Amino acid sequence: MAVSRKVPAIIDRETSFCPGCGHGIVIRLIAECLEELGQDNNVIFPLGVGCSSLLGGGLVTDRLHCPHGRASAVATGMKRCEPDVTIVAYQGDGDAYSIGIAETLNAAYRNENITMIAINNTNFGMTGGQMSWTTMPGQKTTTSPKGRDCAVTGNPIRFPELVASQFDVAYAARGAVTSPKRIATVKKYIKNALAAQVNKEGYSTVEVLSPCPTNWGLDVLGAMKRIEEEIIPYYPLGEFKKREER
Amino acid sequence: MREILFAGLGGQGVLTCGLIVAEVALFNGRTATWSPSYGSAMRGGAANCTVKYSREMVYNPSLDEPDLLLAMSESALALHGHLVKKGGIVLVNSDLVGGEGFGRTDVSVHRVPCSSLAQRIGQPKGANVIMTAAIIKLLGDFGFEDGMRGMNDMFRKKGKERFEKGNSAAFEAGYSAV
Amino acid sequence: MAEMMKGNVAIAEAAVRAGVRFYAGYPITPSSEIMEYLAKRLPELGRQFIQSESELAAINMVMGAAACGVRALTASSGPGISLKQEGISVLSDEELTCVVVNVVRYGNGLGTLFSSQCDYFRETRGGGNGDYRCIVLCPSSIQEAVDLMLTAYELAEKYRVVTVFMTEGALGQMMEPCELPDFVEPPKLPWGFDGKYSYKKIGIFDRDSMQEAEQLNRKYETIRAEEQRWESENVQDADYVFVAYGLPGRAVKGVTRQMRAQGLKVGLIRPITAWPFPVKAFAEVNPGVKGFITVEANATGQMVDDVALASKTVFRDRFVPTHALPCVYGLPSRKFIMDGFGQIVSGARKEVY
Repeated sequence: MAVSRKVPAIIDRETSFCPGCGHGIVIRLIAECLEELGQDNNVIFPLGVGCSSLLGGGLVTDRLHCPHGRASAVATGMKRCEPDVTIVAYQGDGDAYSIGIAETLNAAYRNENITMIAINNTNFGMTGGQMSWTTMPGQKTTTSPKGRDCAVTGNPIRFPELVASQFDVAYAARGAVTSPKRIATVKKYIKNALAAQVNKEGYSTVEVLSPCPTNWGLDVLGAMKRIEEEIIPYYPLGEFKKREER
Repeated sequence: MREILFAGLGGQGVLTCGLIVAEVALFNGRTATWSPSYGSAMRGGAANCTVKYSREMVYNPSLDEPDLLLAMSESALALHGHLVKKGGIVLVNSDLVGGEGFGRTDVSVHRVPCSSLAQRIGQPKGANVIMTAAIIKLLGDFGFEDGMRGMNDMFRKKGKERFEKGNSAAFEAGYSAV
Repeated sequence: MAEMMKGNVAIAEAAVRAGVRFYAGYPITPSSEIMEYLAKRLPELGRQFIQSESELAAINMVMGAAACGVRALTASSGPGISLKQEGISVLSDEELTCVVVNVVRYGNGLGTLFSSQCDYFRETRGGGNGDYRCIVLCPSSIQEAVDLMLTAYELAEKYRVVTVFMTEGALGQMMEPCELPDFVEPPKLPWGFDGKYSYKKIGIFDRDSMQEAEQLNRKYETIRAEEQRWESENVQDADYVFVAYGLPGRAVKGVTRQMRAQGLKVGLIRPITAWPFPVKAFAEVNPGVKGFITVEANATGQMVDDVALASKTVFRDRFVPTHALPCVYGLPSRKFIMDGFGQIVSGARKEVY
């Protein structure tokens, strides 16, 4: 039976993402999960710099635009001072994994009781599509014009797997927003991550593979197809650390 | 104003020695500053501190021209002997510092074998307190009782009154040694 | 009764008593005793202490705490404070408040561990990107440092700026008698996040930078007009006025008093706020003064710029030479000050401005 969905109360206006971008879907999912967990009036978003900053224009909640890459450190300060408020660091791959890898990893290393949602669209979107640490091997970007040469740049980083295998975190997962079914799974992951924080289980993170048609030079469906055929084989979907494993 | 330079090797207790003198001065109504060497100088080698005390404000707490140098080691004497004020006092640990001169005839030199003296009175860790007492006597600003009370007051505040008997014995020995 | 206390420890305890709820920092000589002390002290009181992975992370953690409306602190030295500039710029932009203690050490790059005042320009100009200022306090004794700590937070919160507490390596490491203030229990700051969007902070894309610039200028003008702090003596009839702050300020005070006793007409201005610079102190100076002399623990002379500007502001009808005696690091000795003064009076040493 069809269920009508209402827009979560903390979303007060349309977002300004490019057509076909995945950010808006994820922000909607976060807002729905917060509402379902009773946390939508008990949340602070430390925001990354990049397209993730645009969350700041779409939600009526406490939110702070952090220096580039530092959202997980800012989140740490917030959580220590407001331990009963849900803290969601919302970042892109360039922000969280390139310039911010130290702060991002160290929050996981401390098992800080925060949630970090990373939108992985395999490039620096806001600045016009430069190579990031998740750019695929051979992928052409404005700073890898001949395609990413991993022999000189290193290989794309797999963050959820890294923290799940090396650190004592509460929850780590990766999803993709390429189909209604996959979107429903991402929502489940985000809800798990937030619930882990609410229950004070420790650090939780969800990475979401997200289309960037504008910078990939593809149409919307082509971008979805690229994720399915090219990116998911390198970036497997699933839960790398489940809550009950801890 | 009085200026005293306490110099020696790490582990000889020269920083505490300086602090006791500063606390004794404070106990007896003066103001005092205690300035250590710090940082890389703390690692495996020299340790020193400058203490100044006065009835008025101490304007410049850093090393300038000491009235008295405590040299607990050869290197301390070699490095700092030339700084002592003309007519000033040099107190050396004669267990570690040889008897030859260091090129100054305009200062009075006092030699106390503080390490062996400490052993002899059964207070092997009391060499620095022995020198503290000697310094207090040599400068003559505070009497035996004022010095002893000031020292014991400091250790009591630090919760270390259990060492009071040993410290007092070392203080007496040092006061009599010069 | 006043007790002998180490500067860094006294500063840390004064911060506790001023109501600091959160500290994040990274070890660096000669400031580390501040974090070592707080590592034990803050948890004892149920408050938060984090040893962060880096200086960058520390200032960003402080930003998170400040955004939640608590009194937050970080401390470091020279190169560590360089790394914090990004965060200080963002804190200033977001009008968040905290205190940053710089226990200054000498040198460019990694520098040295010598006590110094070489970070004057960075602290007084705002060392990060953009167009902001921090209030900069520069105590000259441990007692003054302890007494200024609550002021540091009150000023930061009154104007919604960052206060930089600019001390020196030697002040952090030395001991002298000090009496600690009482404890205060500050309420959560009105702009602090609570998760309920009680404070309607707007996002960066909805801000009007032109309007904000005008507001910022008005705010800084108010701070300049209201918050200059200094100590001065013997300036009304002085031929020469020395200007020095921090530990050198205190050392110069002793020397100028001796010079006075010898009949030399010299005075002293000791800035307590390096920003706003105490221009008002110069209005009290002898209209016939022959020159200003800064004594600074840096290599190039930095505060001399502010003294020249203050002189230009106050002495509009004539040029008063401004000299600098930079002692590089440590404290200036009596001999250093007297030799420099002699060279200035004889004309052997030229003015900077």
